[in-house]
Amino acid sequence: MIKITDLEKIYRTEDIETVALNKLSFEVKEGEFVAIMGPSGCGKSTLLNILGLLDDPDGGSFVFNNEEIAHYSESKRAQIRKRNIGFVFQSFNLIDELTVFENVELPLIYLNMKASERKEKVEEVLKKMQVMHRRNHYPQQLSGGQQQRVAVARAVVNNPKLILADEPTGNLDSSNGNEVMQLLTDLNEQGTTIIMVTHSEHDARYSHRIIRLLDGQMVLENSLI
Amino acid sequence: MLKNYFKIAVRNLIRHKVFSTINILGLAIGMASAMLILLWIQNEVSYDQFHEKKDRIYNAWNRASFSGELQCWGTTPKVLARTMEKDFPEVEQATRVNWPSSDLFSVGDKRLTVSGNIVDSNFLQIFTFPLIKGDPKSVLHDMHSIVLTETLAEKLFGNEDPMGKIIRLDNEDNFTVTGILKDLPNNTRFKFEYLLPWSYLRSAGGDDTNWGNNSTSTYVLLKPNASLSSINDKMKVLKPRYDKEESKWEMFLYPISRWRLYSSFENGIEDNNGRIQFVRLFGIIAAFILLIACINFMNLSTARSEKRAKEVGIRKVVGAQKSSLIGQFIGESILMAFLAAVIAVVIVVLILPAFNQLIGEKVTVAYGDLNVWLAVFGFIIITGLLAGSYPAFFLSSFQPVAVLKGTFRKGNALVTPRKVLVVLQFTFAIVLIICTMIVKQQIDFAKDRQTGYNKNNLVYHFLTGDIGKNFELIRTELKSSGIATSITKTSSPLTESWSDGWGQEWEGKDPNDKTDFFRYSQEGGLGVTAGLQFVNGRDFDLKQFPTDSTAMIINETALKVMKFKDPIGKIVKDNGVDWHIVGVIKDFILTSPYEPTRPMLITGAKSEWFNLMLIKLNNQHSTGDNLKKAEAIFKKYNPEYPFEYKFVDEEYAKKFEAENRIGVLAGVFAGLTIFISCLGLFGLATYMAENRIKEIGVRKVLGASVSGITALLSKDFLKLVVISFVLAAPVAWWAMDNWLQDYSYRVQIQWWVFVLAGMLSILIAVITVSYQAIKAATANPVKSLRSE
Ligand SMILES: Nc1ncnc2c1ncn2[C@@H]1O[C@H](COP(=O)(O)OP(=O)(O)OP(=O)(O)O)[C@@H](O)[C@H]1O
Ligand SMILES: [Mg+2]
Repeated sequence: MIKITDLEKIYRTEDIETVALNKLSFEVKEGEFVAIMGPSGCGKSTLLNILGLLDDPDGGSFVFNNEEIAHYSESKRAQIRKRNIGFVFQSFNLIDELTVFENVELPLIYLNMKASERKEKVEEVLKKMQVMHRRNHYPQQLSGGQQQRVAVARAVVNNPKLILADEPTGNLDSSNGNEVMQLLTDLNEQGTTIIMVTHSEHDARYSHRIIRLLDGQMVLENSLI
Repeated sequence: MLKNYFKIAVRNLIRHKVFSTINILGLAIGMASAMLILLWIQNEVSYDQFHEKKDRIYNAWNRASFSGELQCWGTTPKVLARTMEKDFPEVEQATRVNWPSSDLFSVGDKRLTVSGNIVDSNFLQIFTFPLIKGDPKSVLHDMHSIVLTETLAEKLFGNEDPMGKIIRLDNEDNFTVTGILKDLPNNTRFKFEYLLPWSYLRSAGGDDTNWGNNSTSTYVLLKPNASLSSINDKMKVLKPRYDKEESKWEMFLYPISRWRLYSSFENGIEDNNGRIQFVRLFGIIAAFILLIACINFMNLSTARSEKRAKEVGIRKVVGAQKSSLIGQFIGESILMAFLAAVIAVVIVVLILPAFNQLIGEKVTVAYGDLNVWLAVFGFIIITGLLAGSYPAFFLSSFQPVAVLKGTFRKGNALVTPRKVLVVLQFTFAIVLIICTMIVKQQIDFAKDRQTGYNKNNLVYHFLTGDIGKNFELIRTELKSSGIATSITKTSSPLTESWSDGWGQEWEGKDPNDKTDFFRYSQEGGLGVTAGLQFVNGRDFDLKQFPTDSTAMIINETALKVMKFKDPIGKIVKDNGVDWHIVGVIKDFILTSPYEPTRPMLITGAKSEWFNLMLIKLNNQHSTGDNLKKAEAIFKKYNPEYPFEYKFVDEEYAKKFEAENRIGVLAGVFAGLTIFISCLGLFGLATYMAENRIKEIGVRKVLGASVSGITALLSKDFLKLVVISFVLAAPVAWWAMDNWLQDYSYRVQIQWWVFVLAGMLSILIAVITVSYQAIKAATANPVKSLRSE
C-alpha cells in the first residue's frame, strides 16, 4: 500500500539545517498495523505527516496505492487524502465551534455526501465509539478520553483504508489509552491499515511490527508476529 | 456544506461578540455612507431622465465670441422655435419656456405669490409631466387657460374640484384652470407650480421676433432617427442667415442627458467642470470610505487568524480543499456584510432627512423598486468579496502541519500587510481632517472680509403692485412713525448684480479698454441707508441738486480703471446718457466674497430702472416691532400684495452656503473615517493585548511599570499614525492648493494646520489604543501567566 524509498526531509532555517528524515525506506502492506518509535526529535511526526500527504518530502520516492505522489500539488493531495486517510492526533484537534456530531460529520461533508446518508454513518460510528449520548455536546464539554474517541470516530467515519495516529494515547490515562488502542485494533481487524507513532512500548505491542527511528534513519525493525 | 459554514460563522459571531460588533458596525457605517452618496449620485444622474422622449429632446444653445473667448449659454431668441420647426424637417416640435416668473394669485380672499413658467402650448407633449386632469394636447390652447400642480390647486381650492375655476393673476387678468399636473419630481430642471400659454404673453406684448434678444429657453424634439450632427451643422449657420449682424454666431443642440451634469463650458467646449466633477469626487469618497471599512474588516479578520488557524488545519486534514476554505471564509464575510447592510439600511433611512438638509437636495429611496434591492444585494456581495478576499486567501493558505503541531506563530509576514492597511486608513482620515480645517479657514476668511456696507437691520422689499406708485407716501410714513431711519429706491439687492456691461466712454479712455462694470442705480440716500463710505464727493441729493438725476457714483476700483486725477465732475457716457461723477465710494462686495471687487457704476434717477426699496430699520425699536408696523403700512398702500421683505444679512450669508456644505461634508466624512479607523485600531489593540498577555506578565514580574508597559504597547500603533501623517500631508496640501485656486480671495495654507491635524490624529489613536494597553498593563500578572 505504501512504499517509500530514500525519503528525505530537511528543515532549513536561517542558519541551521535539520535533517529530519535521512534517506528512509520501508514498505507497509495493506492490512498491517505498524508502530513507529524513537526518541523525541527523531522525525516520527515528520514521517507521519508525509505519509498523510500533509507535507511533501524533499527527496526520494513515495508510492501510495501504486501511484508515485511525492510531487503532487496540494489540491491533488487533498483529493487523495480525503478518500483514503484518517488522522488521529495526540491533542485531539477537534473544532471547538462544532458539536461532536458536526465534527465527525465534517469529512463526509467534504466528500459531498447527502445529509441523510451522513446522519446514518455518523450515528453508526458514534455508537461504535460509545459517544452517541454526547452527540450534541461541544468538545470542551467532554473528557480527554471522550474527545479522543470522537477524534477516532472522525478519522474512521469515511472508512479510510489507512489510519495515521500520532501518539493517540499521549494525553490519556492508561485506562482511556487502552480503550483507544482496543478501538484501533478492532479497526485493523476489520481491514484498515494503521500506522501509529508512539512512545509507549505497551501500546506498540498492539501492532504487528515496530519501526525504530534515530536521527531520521531506521535503526531497527522488529516484527511482533 | 453551506449549512455547516453558516453554523460555524454564526457561532463565531456569537462567541466573539466584541469583535463581531466592531466588525459589523464599522462595515455598516462605511456602507451607510457609501449608500447615501450613491443615492445622491443616483439622484444627480436621474435628472430629467423620466421623460418618455428623452432621447430626442434637446436644448438650443448659443456659442459666440466675446472679447476673444467663446461663450456658451442656453437662452435663445423667441423666434427660434418656430423657425426651426419651419426650416428643419428633422424637428418634430419645438417649445419655448420663458424665464420663471413670480405672480400674485388671487382666488376669493386668498392671496399667494407663486412661481411658474410661460410655455408654448406643446410643452406637455414634449416633456413627460403627467396631467391628472385635462388633455396635454389642449390644456394650453386658450390664451387665458392655466395649468396648476396638484399641490398648488389644493392650496388655492382645497378639496373643491379646481377644473374650470377662475384665478386672478397680478390683479390684471383672469385665467381658467384647464389642467392639473402631478407635482413635479425633484429630479428635474423645471421648478414651476403653474404653466401659462405663450399666447397670453403674445397678447400682453411680451413676444418679439428679434434675433438679438436671447432671453428664452428653446427645447427641440427631433424626429426618431434624426441625425444630430447634420442638424448641428445647419444650426451653425442658422443665426447669420436671419441676423446679418452676427456672421460668426453659432447655435447648437444640447442633449437632455448632459444638461444636469456636463453643462459647463470653457471657450466653447464642455470643460468637464460641471456637477459631474462633484459626482466623481463623491463617488471616489464613497469608494474610499467603503474601502476603509473593508480594510477594517480584513484587519480584524486576519488578527483573529490564530484563533481560526486550528480550524483551518483540521479542515484540511479531513479533506478540505483550499478552494472550499476560501469559499467558507468569503461566505462568512458575505454573511457579515449582510448583517452590516441591514444595519446600514436602517441608518440610511434614519439619517436621510438630515442628509438632504445638509446637501440641499431631496434624495429619496424608491423602496418599491426591485432594482434598489438588487443594488443592495449587489452591494452586499461586492463588499463581502472585497472585505473577505484577503482574510480568505490568507487563512486558507495555512499549512496544517505547522498549525496542528502548535509551531504556528503569527510571524512578520502577517503583521506587515496589517500595518499597511492601518496606515492606509489613517492616511485617508488625516487628509480629510486637514481638508476640513482648511475649508473652514477659507470660509471664515471670506466671512471676515469687510463687506464695505452695514448690513445690520437692513431689509429690502421688491416694488410689487402699487409700491412704486405710492413710494413717497410709504417712505414718509415709515420714517415719521419711527420704523425706519433711511429708505432708498435701488435697481437690485445689495447682494446681487443684475446688470453689467462694457463700452462706456470717458475722457482719456484707452480705446482697447474693455473693462466690464457692474451697474447699479439708486435715487439718492444709498450712502446713509447702506452705510457706504465716501472717499471723495457726496451721495445723490435730488432736492438740493436737481441735476443729480444724471449723477454718478463710482467705486475705488472703477476710479483706478478710469485713471481720473480729480474724478468729481468728470463725464462718463453709458447707455446713451452723460453721467457726471459726484462721488467716489470705498469698494463694497456686491457679488462674491471670494473675488476681488469689480469696478462699479452707480447711476441716478435717470436710469429709470428701480426694482426694490432698501430700508434701514430704526434700531431704537425691536426688529419684530418694526416689521409688524411696517407690514400695516405696506398693506395700506399695497393691499393686494403680501408683505414679503428680505434681510440683507441673511441674503449675504447665502453666499457661503456652497462652501459651508463642502466644509460640513468634509467634516462629516472625516469624522466617519476616523471613527471607522478607530474601531479597527481598537480591535487590533485588543488582539495585541491578548496575544502579548504572557509577555506583559513576565515583564511585570521582572519589574516593569504600568506606564512603561502602556507606552510599549501603544508605541507600535503610534508609529503607524506618524507614517500616515507623512503620507497624508503632501496629498492634503496638493488637494487644498488645487481647491483654493478657484478663489482669488483665499487663505494661505498654514503649516500649523498640518501639525494640529497630526497631533489630533495621534491623540485620537492614543486614546483608542491606550484603553486596551492600560487594561493589559494593569492586569494581575499571576492571572495572565496562568493563562498559558
Ligand atoms: N518546522 C520545522 N522547522 C525546523 N525544524 C523542524 C520543524 N519541524 C520539525 N523540525 C525538526 O525536525 C526533527 C524531527 O521532528 P519531529 O517533529 O518529526 O520529531 P518527533 O520524532 O515527532 O519528536 P517527538 O517525539 O518529540 O514528537 C526535529 O529535530 C525538529 O527539531
Ligand atoms: Mg512528534
